Amino acid sequence: MMGRNWQKTDATGAMPVRALVAAFLRERWDLVALVLLALAPLVIPALGGALGGQVTTLFIYCILALGLNVMVGYTGLVHLGIAAFFGIGAYLCAILTVPMYPFQMRFVTAALVSVLATAGVGLALGAPTLRLRGDYLAIVTLGFGEVVKVTLRNLEQITGGMKGLNPVPPPGAGLVVGGLDLGRAFAVDPRWFYYLTLLALAGVVVAMRRLENSRLGRAWVAVREDELAAAAMGISATRVKLSAFAMSSAVAALAGCLYAASLSTTADPNAYDFNRSIMVLCAVILGGLGSIPGTLLGVALLVGFDTVLAPWADSWIQQMEVNPSGSSLLSFSGWRLAIFGLALVLVMRYRPEGLIPSRRMAAELHKAHP
Amino acid sequence: MQFFLQQCLIGITNGALVALVALGYTMVYGIIRLINFAHGDLIMLGACLALTLVTASGLAGTGTSATWLGIVLLVAACGLFCGGLNVAVDRVVYRPLRSAPKLAPLVSAIGVSFIFMNVGLFWLGPADRSFPELLPTTNLLGGEGLQFTAKDLLVLVVVVPLMAALSLLVRCTRLGKAMRAVSQDPTAAALVGVDVDRVIAFTFFVGGFLGGAASVIYGLYINTISFQMGFQNGLYAFTAAVLGGIGSIPGAVVGGLVIGLVRALSSAYAGERWTGAIVFAILIVILVFRPEGLLGRSTREKV
Amino acid sequence: MNVRFRVVAPVVALLMGLAGCRPADPTLVKIVSSLPRTGSAKQQSDTIVGGIRMAIEEVGGKVGPFRIEYLDLDDSTAAAGQWTSEAEAANARRALQDPDVVAYIGTFNSGAAKVSMPILNLGDLLMVSPANTAVGLTKPGLGTPGEPGVYRPTGRLNYTRVVPADDLQGPLSADWAKKRGVKKVYILDDNEVYGKGIADLFDERCREIGIEVLGHDSIDAKAQEFKSLMASVKAAAPDLVYFGGTTQSKGGQLAKDMAGAGITALLMVPDGCREQVFIDSAGAANLEDRCFVTFGGLPPEKLTGKGGEFVERYRKKHGELPEAYAVYGYEAACVALRAIRDAGTKDRRAISDAALALRNFDGALGRWGFDENGDTTLKTLTVSVVKNGKFEFEEILDANAAADAAAAP
Repeated sequence: MMGRNWQKTDATGAMPVRALVAAFLRERWDLVALVLLALAPLVIPALGGALGGQVTTLFIYCILALGLNVMVGYTGLVHLGIAAFFGIGAYLCAILTVPMYPFQMRFVTAALVSVLATAGVGLALGAPTLRLRGDYLAIVTLGFGEVVKVTLRNLEQITGGMKGLNPVPPPGAGLVVGGLDLGRAFAVDPRWFYYLTLLALAGVVVAMRRLENSRLGRAWVAVREDELAAAAMGISATRVKLSAFAMSSAVAALAGCLYAASLSTTADPNAYDFNRSIMVLCAVILGGLGSIPGTLLGVALLVGFDTVLAPWADSWIQQMEVNPSGSSLLSFSGWRLAIFGLALVLVMRYRPEGLIPSRRMAAELHKAHP
Repeated sequence: MQFFLQQCLIGITNGALVALVALGYTMVYGIIRLINFAHGDLIMLGACLALTLVTASGLAGTGTSATWLGIVLLVAACGLFCGGLNVAVDRVVYRPLRSAPKLAPLVSAIGVSFIFMNVGLFWLGPADRSFPELLPTTNLLGGEGLQFTAKDLLVLVVVVPLMAALSLLVRCTRLGKAMRAVSQDPTAAALVGVDVDRVIAFTFFVGGFLGGAASVIYGLYINTISFQMGFQNGLYAFTAAVLGGIGSIPGAVVGGLVIGLVRALSSAYAGERWTGAIVFAILIVILVFRPEGLLGRSTREKV
Repeated sequence: MNVRFRVVAPVVALLMGLAGCRPADPTLVKIVSSLPRTGSAKQQSDTIVGGIRMAIEEVGGKVGPFRIEYLDLDDSTAAAGQWTSEAEAANARRALQDPDVVAYIGTFNSGAAKVSMPILNLGDLLMVSPANTAVGLTKPGLGTPGEPGVYRPTGRLNYTRVVPADDLQGPLSADWAKKRGVKKVYILDDNEVYGKGIADLFDERCREIGIEVLGHDSIDAKAQEFKSLMASVKAAAPDLVYFGGTTQSKGGQLAKDMAGAGITALLMVPDGCREQVFIDSAGAANLEDRCFVTFGGLPPEKLTGKGGEFVERYRKKHGELPEAYAVYGYEAACVALRAIRDAGTKDRRAISDAALALRNFDGALGRWGFDENGDTTLKTLTVSVVKNGKFEFEEILDANAAADAAAAP
């Protein structure tokens, strides 16, 4: 709809300029956002502190959500256990880097191995279960998530149980470049992780963009839209779905590696439970299935609410001293769940296709209600 | 042997409770293909009401007829409350989304579940709350052998007739016929004069009523409620519904019993710590070999 | 564009606000606490925060030349319902970032401490935990390999705790059980850092002193009931069931199902269950006269001197006896205040050193100090029993006495 502004001319002649700027923002939002985000730490000192860490986490969730988007958005397979692959990635990366094990690889090598291995796990789960339809596949992924969580918790000799594996050394630990100890720099200043995860996110966005328009990406969408028709066109639905499974798991594992490194621990297995899967799934659907900007926005809103806004609002209320008795009715965190839930309900009520639907989805919906 | 029987007994009783919750999932799923994520939390709110009513009325005692009457009234009150709440949520939240993309109502349901949890948090407070023991704890089987008390019996006594009644309702009444029609094709059902919205609302009421009954039984049987209980409750019940073949009423019951038994036996023989993993691993294996669940009918994809 | 600006401007303002652009005030120091304020541990963290606030109120919000500001941070999130690594890391970074913050009271969960310790260590920011008991956090050789060095990247110490660690509580509980005539135990834990740690230590000590361990299993803290587990326990017929865990990890439900299964054995739980909510959630009748709780230090009603005064003031203010953890919150805040006064500057390292140098501190818990690891020298443990729906003092266990007994042939 906004595309029409493009051609619209205005009597004053000012409109085309504004339209041009708008069109530029719309078409190259990614570039604009990237530049703004890259410059932000230079302008906003808080990014060198707690906020930097929170935004890093946000970027990591963006990557995770983009991974999930491959399954749910492009291929139309509901996945309720993405956190398990996130966790497998994190734990593999930790096993390959922590001092407790003999491997002690560099972060980049470890991440690569972990991503490939997790893709393999995805294939192993996908192969026997892909003939399941819709909600049956969803429950299998959910069950897999629970199995992984319990296993991580119980295999204490390998995973450290609830203690998790730590310390995961920061990327570049032990490397000194131009008198700068990279490992220490990563540990002290969150901006290093900020840039590392931003870079990874940008890479994933570019890769997803390319995939979307590739042969494989179009095959995913074809299978989502009509498996039979796709098969008639000579697309092997099984192979296409499996590739989506593997890709999803791989991207989730990448997010997991960054997560473990940025926290310097795998955290405990509860960090990879069903709640997390649901949160990411909500973000993808809320933002708009199959839409890259939508997914990013969804994560920014949902995860940002919980990790950035809520703690901030809580301490603001505290500093204003409006709640001396500490009653939970007057604290922000007392209402967090309700606000969160209400937001989900309202967005779905008024924008059921998501905040920024992909073009194809929007067109489809348009077609459905003439 | 006695140990094995005891574990089976526990498994069946637990499974019956899971099945009762699973029925609520399967009813709603059967008719509008929605995984109603808020069902577990609806039950939590029912349990809140039950606790409040029990405390306010001073209902106590050990198996006098007044207590039994009280429990029946409690089931009715919580059933109506949960049923009504479920209908209201359907009217306000899900109905406007009937033609929306398939996953939109799912996210709404998750949203509703968060709102319910927040209400429960204010209602109960953050800690676990004890639900008073209303039934005698004496062993019905007598002696030192198998343990089977009145509350175990209660669970079985409630679940079996409820399931039978529900099956009859769906199979043999006009309303049930309408429900089946809507489930198969809402548009065609509307064309032949079925008031689709009303049938769906009725289904939500029945699902909610079952949830309300489950909440009372849960309180009496488990004796602890908390604002977070809905989640785990829902997880197992939903799994049971899918395992049995989602949308199928006997399927939900069979699925619940299987889950209850697997849980009890894996706790007894593999260790409590592995229970969660074993339940879900078995679920995956069963679904790999029976992709439509234990009692589900295979649906052919429409072309 | 205007619309867009209207949206963007407040966001930018917010970010600037978050940046904390105010210049540091030389007469202001901040104490923060990082505790789980949402979710199931809220009740316990409420009492700790109550204790901290009272300590600060008592000195009139001033220490030496400094005004004190207290900030109560949450390390849990609504979605998780419990502490999360991200929230804890964010709190630690936030404290580190703010130059006015000179003391960090926390954490509640030992797992969370593992996240924030290495971050805060980089800035030598004093950390006083009112509740961490996992041994590896401070004691070399007792935790996993590399602990506690991995939490101290600078090699200097900044972490202290006012509660005795589990290497005291676990073994002493086993000794007590032996003295009580227990021959066979069944051990359960909640599979978390604290609960499993203490249960493992209890287990180890039982085997050393010849108590038969019939079984040791972990529960899922999110499970709803433990009827089958209790049937297994019943079949094993122990004299005592030990549960390493907390009220939040289903201690109450466990006790309830234990009674429901008709098990008559004693139940023993550690300090994580020593709060009224535990009794309420288990149902007092199920614990009556059979549930024993260990606790580091003296219970509130037995405190004398400064501790007794605190309990009195708390009762006046809140109309009830403080929960056990309130005293620890209070003591942690007192330690922080004392360290700030002793250091006399806003220099974080000086304040950390001042705290670690505390010896012979006359606090609410008695007369104690920190040892070279930042652990309390307090070595008393009390056992309470549940009577009439309340914790009732049973006896004092002394580690030194136990060590003597162990040394004797």
